[in-house]
Amino acid sequence: MRKLKILLIGQPNVGKSSLLNGLIGSRVIVSNYPGTTVEVIQAEKIFNNTKIKFVDTPGIYSISDRSEEEKVTEKALFEEKVDEAIVVADATSLERSLYMALQILEAEIPTVIALNFVREAEKKGIKIDSKKLAKLLNIPVMLINPLTKRGINELVDIISRIKKRKGRSFKIKYDDHIEEAINKISSQIKETSIPTRFIALRVLEEDEDFYKYLKDKRVIEEVKESLAEHPKVAENVSITRYGTASFIAERITKIVPLEKRLQPYGSLRLQEKIDDILFRKIWGSFITGLFILTIFGTLLYLGNFIQNILMDLTESFLSFFGTAEHSITAMILVQGLTGLTAGISVALPYVFLFYLFLGSLEDIGLLSRFIVNAERFLKKLGLSGKSFIPLALGLGCSVPAIRATRILSSKKEQFHTASLFAFTPCSSRIAIIMGIVGFYGGIKLAFSVFATLFVAGLIWAFFIKKIVHIKSKYLLLELPPYRKPLIKNILAKSWIRMKDFVYIVIPLLILGGIACGILNVTGFSKYIVEPLLPITTWLGLPAMTIIPLVFGFLQRDLTGAMLLSVLGSKISLAMTPLQIYTFGIASTIGIPCIIALGMLIKEFGFKKAIVLTITSIVYGLLFAGLVWRIVSLF
Amino acid sequence: MLKESDILKIVKEDMLRILGERKEKTPLGSIETGIKVFSSFVSEAIKCLKEEGLIRVEEKFVKLTQIGRDKAKDILRKHLILENYFKKTSNEKIAHRKAHILEHYISEEVIKNIKKICTLKEKGISLTKLKLHKESLIADITTPNSELFERMVSMGIFPGEEINITNKISNGVVVKIKNKKFALGKDIAKEIKVIK
Repeated sequence: MRKLKILLIGQPNVGKSSLLNGLIGSRVIVSNYPGTTVEVIQAEKIFNNTKIKFVDTPGIYSISDRSEEEKVTEKALFEEKVDEAIVVADATSLERSLYMALQILEAEIPTVIALNFVREAEKKGIKIDSKKLAKLLNIPVMLINPLTKRGINELVDIISRIKKRKGRSFKIKYDDHIEEAINKISSQIKETSIPTRFIALRVLEEDEDFYKYLKDKRVIEEVKESLAEHPKVAENVSITRYGTASFIAERITKIVPLEKRLQPYGSLRLQEKIDDILFRKIWGSFITGLFILTIFGTLLYLGNFIQNILMDLTESFLSFFGTAEHSITAMILVQGLTGLTAGISVALPYVFLFYLFLGSLEDIGLLSRFIVNAERFLKKLGLSGKSFIPLALGLGCSVPAIRATRILSSKKEQFHTASLFAFTPCSSRIAIIMGIVGFYGGIKLAFSVFATLFVAGLIWAFFIKKIVHIKSKYLLLELPPYRKPLIKNILAKSWIRMKDFVYIVIPLLILGGIACGILNVTGFSKYIVEPLLPITTWLGLPAMTIIPLVFGFLQRDLTGAMLLSVLGSKISLAMTPLQIYTFGIASTIGIPCIIALGMLIKEFGFKKAIVLTITSIVYGLLFAGLVWRIVSLF
Repeated sequence: MLKESDILKIVKEDMLRILGERKEKTPLGSIETGIKVFSSFVSEAIKCLKEEGLIRVEEKFVKLTQIGRDKAKDILRKHLILENYFKKTSNEKIAHRKAHILEHYISEEVIKNIKKICTLKEKGISLTKLKLHKESLIADITTPNSELFERMVSMGIFPGEEINITNKISNGVVVKIKNKKFALGKDIAKEIKVIK
C-alpha cells in the first residue's frame, strides 16, 4: 500500500483541527508527536489504497519565528520525509495565510492551499478567485468548509494524486543584493535534504539554528559585509515576503459592497460588547478571576465527591474479602488502593474536566481574553499571561501541570512556572489543609495556611525572577472571534492531554502507596525519627510527625492518614494549634511528591529537577520554622 | 527560481520605468546594463512591449508611445512612493533598492496608504497615544528586534494597514487590523507609529 505523510499547517484558529476531523471522520486515531514540547496530533486513514498520515501542527503565523511552536513545526517539516503540506488559509485575511504558504514553498515542500472561511469572507464582501490563485502560485487551491464537509473529498483526491503534479511553483524574488547573498550562502551549505535556498534565507533571517548547515560560518560575516546597504536584512526579507503576499492577495480579491440587509451588524455588535465587558479595567480581571474560581470550585467539589465514592467502594471491597484488617498484606493493599482512588479522583475531575473546560474556553475564544487579563498580574512575577493555564491546573495536580508548562515559549519560563508548583496547593494538599488543619485547628487556621503559602510563593517568584533573568515576554496575542465550539474536537483534545496522566501517573500513585505501606509495616519508618530530629525541632513539632512529612513525598494523599496513625486520632490534644498550622505549612510547601519530581526530571533534566526539589523543600521548611517563631513572639 | 513569465513582467516594468525616467530616445544598450538580466529576457520584453503598443523601436533606440508613457508614469509613481517611504528608515541608495524590488509586488491599497504616510511630514505618533475607535494607518514599526518585527509582519501588522483601537486595557491596547483583533502590550504598542 502506498503511504503518504501530510502536514497540516496554519495560523491558530484557522480550522486545522476541524479539517483534520473532517478528513479522518469518526475513527480518529490520535497520538502525540514523539519528543516534542508542544502537542502535535497525528492521525491515519486509508483512502483508496493509500494510507495517509496527517500531522496536525501547532498554530503558527510563520515558520521563521523562533518560538517553541515554530520549532516543532520545523521539526515536523524537515526531520522526517513529508510528502505534502496542506496550508489551511483564512479567506478573511488572505495576506497572512499567503505569507506562510510562500514560506512553505520556499522550503520546496509540495503544497496545497485549503481555503477556509470563504462564507465568512463573502459576508464581509470579500470575493476570492481561487482559480487565479492556483494559477499564480501554480499549486492546487481548494475551497473547504470542515463543518459542511465542502471540498473535503476533493482535497483528499488532490493529495493522493500528488506525484502526478508537475511544474515549478511560485517563488519570491528578493532584492538583487539579497538574491546575491542567497547564492553566496547557498554555495557554502553542507549536504542536506533541506533546500539550500531555504537554509540561506533562514541564515539571512539570523536563525542560529540553521548555522549548523554551513560549511564555514565565516560566510555569514562575508555576506554581512557585502550587504552593507541592508543593515536590517532580516526585516527586508519579511517585508518583501509580506509585500509579495499582499500583492498576490490583491490580485485575486474583489471587494464587493455589501447590501444593507446582509451586513452582519447583530453578531458583530455582540462580539464587541462581550469584549467591552471583558476588557473593562476592573471588571475584566474580576470576571476572569470569578470564572476561574467557579471552574475550580466545581472541580474541587466533584473531586471530593468522586474520591468519597471510591473510598467507600475500596472499604467495602476489602471487607468483602474479609481480610483481617491488621494483616500485612491488607495494609499494603489498602495503601495501594488509596493510591488508585487518589489517582482516579484526580484524573477524572481535575485533569479531564479541567482540560474539557480549558478546551471549551479555547475554542469559544475566551481563553485568549483571559490570558490577556491574567498577564497583568503574572507579568509582575516575571511570567507571561499564558502561564495561568499550568498554574490553574496545578491547583488540581502538579504532575500534569508541570507537563502543561510546555505551552510556554521558553525553557526558562517553563522552569520558572514549574518551580511555582512548590507553592500551588494541589488537590491532595488542599485535602491536607482542609482535612487536617481545618478539621482539627479550625477554618481560620486553614486559611492562614493558604495565605502563608501564597506569601511564600510570591517571595520565591520575585527571588527567582531576580536570579533567572527571563527576558520579559511581550504581549502580542491574536484574539479570535467568538465561535461555537465543536464538542468532538474538545473531547478528543482533552483525552490526548489526559492520557499521560492515566498511563504514567496513576500506576506511580499506586506504587507510591504500596511503598508507603511496606515501609510502615516493616517498621522502617521508625528509623528516620532519630536522625531527622533537627528538622522536627526546628519546626517545633512532635518528633513522630517526621514520618508523615517524609513519606508524604511518596504519596501525598497518605499524609493525613499517616499523621493519624503516628499521633492517634486525638490530634488536637497531641499538637497545639500553632503546631497544626506549622505542620500544615511544612507538609504543603515544596515540590509535592516523587511523581512530580519524576515529571520535572523528564521535562528539565535530572540536575535541575533535583536542585529545584531540594531547594524548594529546604526553603519551605525554613519558612515554616521562621513563621511559627515570628507568630509565637506575639 | 522565478517563473519566466514573472521575470518577463519585472523586466517589462523595469524597462518602462527606465524609459520613463529618461528623455525621448534611449539606446538599447543602456537599457540592458540598467536591468542586469540576460539579454534574452530584454529582447523578449522589448518584443512584448512592442506588441502591446507601449514602445516603438527605431534602429538602436527605443521610444515610449503615449500609452507606454502613462504606464511608465504609473510604475514610476509606485517606485517613488516606495522609495520615499523607505528613505525614512534607511539611506537613499538602500531606499532605491528596496523600492526597486517591492514595486512589482505590492498591492495598490498598501501603496495608497504608504503614499498617505509619505505626504505627511511627521513620522506619526505612538499607538499608545491614539484615541479609542480612531481609524488610522500604521506608519512604521520601529522595534529594533528583528524577530519581533518578523512575528508582527507575519500576523499582518504591517506598515500601510489600517489600525483601530477597540479597547484600552491596563497592560496595553486591543486593536483591530483587517478584521482581526490583537492584544498588544504597552512595550509593543509604543513601537507602532500611526498617523490619523
